[in-house]
Amino acid sequence: MKRIDLSAISVREGNELLRKMAEQEDIIEVLNPDAQHHIGVGLTSPCTVKIRGSAGYFCGGLSDGARFEVDSNAGWGLGDNIYNGTVVVGGNAGAIAGVAIRGAEIVVKGNMGSRAGQVMKKGTLLCCGNANFMAGYMMYGGRIIILGDSGERVGEDMSAGDIYVAGKVNSLGSDAELIDLPADELDSIMAFLDKHEIGFKGSFQKIHNAGKKLRYATQEPQRRSLPFFKHSAEMTYWNEKIQEDVFVKSQIGRYRIRGYGTARALPHVSDIAFRKKIDPDRIESGVVDQVRMRTEIGGINGAEPLKLSMPVMVAPMSYGALSASTKRAIAIASGMSDIAENTGEGGMSDAQRGAAKQLIFQMLGGRLGWNIHDMKRADGLEIYISQGAKPGLGGQLMANKVTKELAEIRGIPEGIDLRSPSRHPDILGADDLVIKVEEFREATGYRLPVSIKLGAGRVRDDIKIAAKDGFDFIELDGMQGSTGAGSSEVIEYVGIPTLSAICEAMDALDEIEFRDKVQMVLMGGLRDGIDAVKALCLGADAVAFGSSAIIAGGCIACMQCHIGQCVTGIATQNPDHEDRYSPEQEALNIHRFFESVRWQIAAITNALGYDSVTQLSRDDLVALTPEAAAITGLPYEPEHRDETDAIAIKAS
Amino acid sequence: MNDSVYNFDRIAETRAPSVYHDDISDLHFVPAPCQVACPVGTDVPSYLGYIWEEKWEQAFEAITATNPLSSICGRVCDAPCEPACRRAQSDGAVAIRNLKRIVMDKLGADFKPTPIPVSRKERVAIVGAGPAGLAAAQDLASHGMEVHVFEATDRPGGMVAWGIPGFRLPAERAREDIDRLMAKCPGIKLHLNTPLGEDGVTLDELKAGHDAVLLTIGAFKGKPMGIAGEDGNDKVVDGVGFLYRINAGERPTLPETVVVIGGGDVAMDACRSALRMPGCKNVKVVYRRGPDEIPARPDELHGAIAENIEFVYNTQQERIETTGNGLILHCVKTEMGAPGEDGRRRPVVVDGSDHGIECGMVIAAVGQKTESAHLADLGLMGRDRVATDWENMRTADAKVFAAGDGAFGGSTIVMAMNHGQRAAYYIRQMLDGVEAPIPYHTPYRTRRVPVAQDIMWEKFPRQEQDFHGLGAEPAAFPEIESTYSVEAARAEAARCYRCDAETGSNDYSVHNREDIFSMARTNPVDIRKNRAMLAKRVRNRSNPFPESRPATLDDLCFLPANLSRLVIDPYREACASNTDLMGKLDLPNPILVGGMDNAPDQVFNGTMAGVLSTTSAYVGVRAPGNGAQWIQILQPGATTASKQAAVAVFDSAIPADQWRRASEDQLLGVRLRNGADLSGAISAAFEVGCEVLLLDGAPGTGGWPELTGTPDINLLFETVMTLRQMKREEHIDLIWFGGARSGTDAAKLIAMGAKAVAFGVPTAMAAGGRIDGGTMVFSSDMAAGEIGAAVGNLLNAQIGEATMMARCTGKTKLHNLEPEDLRSITLATETATGIPLAGRTQPSAVSGIQRPESMGY
Repeated sequence: MKRIDLSAISVREGNELLRKMAEQEDIIEVLNPDAQHHIGVGLTSPCTVKIRGSAGYFCGGLSDGARFEVDSNAGWGLGDNIYNGTVVVGGNAGAIAGVAIRGAEIVVKGNMGSRAGQVMKKGTLLCCGNANFMAGYMMYGGRIIILGDSGERVGEDMSAGDIYVAGKVNSLGSDAELIDLPADELDSIMAFLDKHEIGFKGSFQKIHNAGKKLRYATQEPQRRSLPFFKHSAEMTYWNEKIQEDVFVKSQIGRYRIRGYGTARALPHVSDIAFRKKIDPDRIESGVVDQVRMRTEIGGINGAEPLKLSMPVMVAPMSYGALSASTKRAIAIASGMSDIAENTGEGGMSDAQRGAAKQLIFQMLGGRLGWNIHDMKRADGLEIYISQGAKPGLGGQLMANKVTKELAEIRGIPEGIDLRSPSRHPDILGADDLVIKVEEFREATGYRLPVSIKLGAGRVRDDIKIAAKDGFDFIELDGMQGSTGAGSSEVIEYVGIPTLSAICEAMDALDEIEFRDKVQMVLMGGLRDGIDAVKALCLGADAVAFGSSAIIAGGCIACMQCHIGQCVTGIATQNPDHEDRYSPEQEALNIHRFFESVRWQIAAITNALGYDSVTQLSRDDLVALTPEAAAITGLPYEPEHRDETDAIAIKAS
Repeated sequence: MNDSVYNFDRIAETRAPSVYHDDISDLHFVPAPCQVACPVGTDVPSYLGYIWEEKWEQAFEAITATNPLSSICGRVCDAPCEPACRRAQSDGAVAIRNLKRIVMDKLGADFKPTPIPVSRKERVAIVGAGPAGLAAAQDLASHGMEVHVFEATDRPGGMVAWGIPGFRLPAERAREDIDRLMAKCPGIKLHLNTPLGEDGVTLDELKAGHDAVLLTIGAFKGKPMGIAGEDGNDKVVDGVGFLYRINAGERPTLPETVVVIGGGDVAMDACRSALRMPGCKNVKVVYRRGPDEIPARPDELHGAIAENIEFVYNTQQERIETTGNGLILHCVKTEMGAPGEDGRRRPVVVDGSDHGIECGMVIAAVGQKTESAHLADLGLMGRDRVATDWENMRTADAKVFAAGDGAFGGSTIVMAMNHGQRAAYYIRQMLDGVEAPIPYHTPYRTRRVPVAQDIMWEKFPRQEQDFHGLGAEPAAFPEIESTYSVEAARAEAARCYRCDAETGSNDYSVHNREDIFSMARTNPVDIRKNRAMLAKRVRNRSNPFPESRPATLDDLCFLPANLSRLVIDPYREACASNTDLMGKLDLPNPILVGGMDNAPDQVFNGTMAGVLSTTSAYVGVRAPGNGAQWIQILQPGATTASKQAAVAVFDSAIPADQWRRASEDQLLGVRLRNGADLSGAISAAFEVGCEVLLLDGAPGTGGWPELTGTPDINLLFETVMTLRQMKREEHIDLIWFGGARSGTDAAKLIAMGAKAVAFGVPTAMAAGGRIDGGTMVFSSDMAAGEIGAAVGNLLNAQIGEATMMARCTGKTKLHNLEPEDLRSITLATETATGIPLAGRTQPSAVSGIQRPESMGY
């Protein structure tokens, strides 16, 4: 038996030592834990870790296969996201014990705090004492056994899984109901107690999902194409869109859902021009080699940065919203163009990992598909707070897209109408976020850059928090960002335009003198190299393309994303539709789109008189509309507008 | 999908000359790949949409608008649209050609076009009544010219009439196109049996009698293979010559085995015709490249294979040896080598692979050429075609133009028609005295057929026409396939993705999407295409917010919770919406109904049932009559409040001394419209003890005052500012009426200070009303119960939307929304509401624009 004394070394050093020792030792003793956070985080070797005292936050979190025995108490997030393995706590556990576990056995011999087993997928959480309020909050599977009493609203908004309470059930949560305990389940509970040598005699009440919430009798009528927003001079207040909305809502009695991004016109980088006239005919064929575009993102605090061949990445888009074939095509294209791809919500597939040279792993509040192994094989980590299309709202995946395969990778029941939690169980404020980021770094050995994805809202304040919380880079997503499914009104009216977002973000960083201490990746309605250069001029370090990459790969905006019946096989999980998609061909198309973006970035940078994208600045831009001028503070010079007929371009 | 439709032209979209109907400058239209691939620019997506709707006449119009030979094309067009189809690379292109066929089968024979009379003095002569000549003739005659078409043979149609066997194209089908054309254009005079030259009509004669001459003389002479044993051998014939005889009606007895050399469409027609001749049992097609390279259209190839024709690939003919009654075709095997100049890989001979194929006859279908001794004598011929300048379709003779296979080599029917139309354009320009005409470009029209809102759209598998092959009497040439049934046609039409369809996305409009598509089909080293795309993309859009755009609720957005505010779970966590008016009237939510006073009784009563179901309240002159809460409006002239009303609201035009509640527990209010003396009315309201201000922001008057236009949301801002100046914001509650459309609108109005929001027009629409000019028309046959349910649904949806907005901002109470949760996206809206522009924390200052005092800052 080996020993690690945390009074002599830091947790970071201790965890490194633990990982190394665990490769050879069966039992490792941790002395003087002193309730420090992150003990044992990221351990993936089978061994027993005996913690002689109390552990702080996330003890044993993000691990797989190990056994942790805590002599005294554990802080919140006990066993966070464990795949397999065991955690036994001799005393009490704090809030969200067993959060997001995917197969582990967690035994708390004393009491446990609130929201125990939140968003858990699989495994068993046993509490020998009493559980505080909302145990089993939003759980997707597995079981919680409470030998004492359960607090208020037990099983609140659980989607699946079982909760067994031997003591008193204080109150039931929303959409939870009490049922009789089937005999075979009692046998299974008793077997579990025997295995962990817990003596118990008594009976249980069972709580499960009642299945009443978020289920609708009337389907929303399926529509192809959105009616166009009518604008300004030709504005028709009671236009076709309004009429369609009213009609549909009067049939279904609830808000409408759709995919894609904001439909109406918003201030955009299109309302900004380059001060210097760009003459495409003067761009030389070798321009791509004449402009330095290589960009490193995320290395600012010492992590291994993403090395991009140009300041461009793929925006986060999930396997789920998109088909596996589409994710593969995008991954291949990102590799061919040597930029970074992003998993989006819902996990990483082997195909995607294999195809993408550089891959960011996105991690959301629902902990869907989030696990230590994929974190370790990622090239960057991203914590999702919100997205531009539907900030403040969680992800949404309609039932017919939640297939068996998808459910498996996400660890959720097949065929549920998935509405991802919009809040992380363990991030209720800026301070929690700091500790969470530290957990990621502990789990991955401080090797990977960690970013935060933010939908644009109160950007000025949010960016300051993100910057000060020590992220390596920020992914800022304006309200023009798209989604696979969301409330159409939220897509349209919540958030601020991408143009406003980047300007506020830069102001915020200047106010706290953080311009050089965090990098900014901008996304949301950016469509080409021209948009990209304008974003870079306004202060972004890189941009990300989502919808454009999909369109390059065949999307025709059939508006069936949310229903999952994408006609071209992109935003679907239906095999008949997915069969229509040819990943190799579309990968090549997406790659050529990125190369076209590269050419455009190089051409404009060169035409502006620079040889590196880092030389681009606000001074290269003027505003063409009063709104753009007011938002950006750029000079209002509408005379720079090129009013050339957008159609009749003569061949050069 | 075939990337070729995303070539340079696609980026540098050139508009057709203004003499054509071209929709390419429509901001919401980009022609779909199929339409771009069609040489005559057929509006394919529209006609497919019409077929689904069984609007056959409209489909016929879309098909025939630019294609005079539509019935012919419905059966034998090369259909370049199909490989361009975005469905081609998945489960197969939409069968666009077959769909054209069913429309033409239905209407093509009997359609009676409106004749276009001759209206100009110019006369044009066209030599050759093939597709190029006929297309040109239609174009010129449609513009009022007299057109004389001189045809060497006894029938019009050119290669269509002489080169395509009847089992693929029955002669009557070809004739119906020509009959229709002649009926449409009485100015076309057809002169049959009149070849060009001394034995018919000379070019000089044509020039003397016409203002211009167009040569569309085709390419009817088969090229020789150039191998030993070919010349003078009566068992070796050329493909077009063979087909000519067949189409003349001959049915020669052929030897048992026939070899056809070549892999093009002539070879396909020749091999299939040969097999149908008496005596012939086996036909072999010898082709020097492999099955992947064979140029024949897949349909023809599959048809030939289905008819048991043998394909001998990678085999090249070397010489022909005559043996008694038969032939031995000596060949070598080939394999594919490096690509040649045309980009196709060249066949390379395999050493020692000599072998012989025994047969009784060889048909050489290795290409065609044009022959005209007459034109050669006049110096107008190039090597094997009429020397023609593609840029203006002119020959060396200033008055003589040329087009089609005779000018540019063997091609397809539809391409020949494109040539004819192109030549007609340049002829017209010359006759109009235009010296430097705008270059011709195929016009692209759209009929804007809406995408079918049908659950089965795009779901069907590919539909095939029934294939009959040789039939019982092969030599009689029964048709090889039958036309779709209506059901099959609709199912096939429904396979169209409708990639032409625009959707209401500003950032990803069809123009932007097609540009991205083009970028994704650009070779990175193609400097010309990259430059053209940059030129296109670098231009700015027009200002979406011109000064004429009024301030509107559309131009406000909510600030979501993220880090600086705690995110709540909008799907699950409760968001309270209970609404009490000054602590005296408790409503479960702030979504009210108003302005239905002018609805018919059944609609009104049904609507009130909906109001009651959501325990909402009705704001109006009429009493709900079913126990639903009533906020009574008293118009000028009315004096006494009803005791049934929970709130009595007097119009501010009624003298304040008449504002009286009917009972102690009734709330009292006053209605304010924009332009009223706000501070005076508000002061008066406080004096008489009002608890409620009803702000009527509807822009008009009359029965449906909301329909006039955009509501004036400045009224709310001004009212709040007036109350704030009085320091009495908390002393009165505001109910808004006017132009609220969604729960989002309600949430915005609540954030700006309203306590409740009444919905007028949307409620009327839910109740079956339809906007007709400035009024609502109720013609629907909804029963009262259905109206109640629909109104209830709408109100519930509005509540859901409103609370979702609050949740997104991190609020668990709808009424906790505040101006600070909003941002404007236009300066006009900033001015009207005092809400700062997105990206700013204070109202902005752009020179020359007056900024209001910020609300809440």
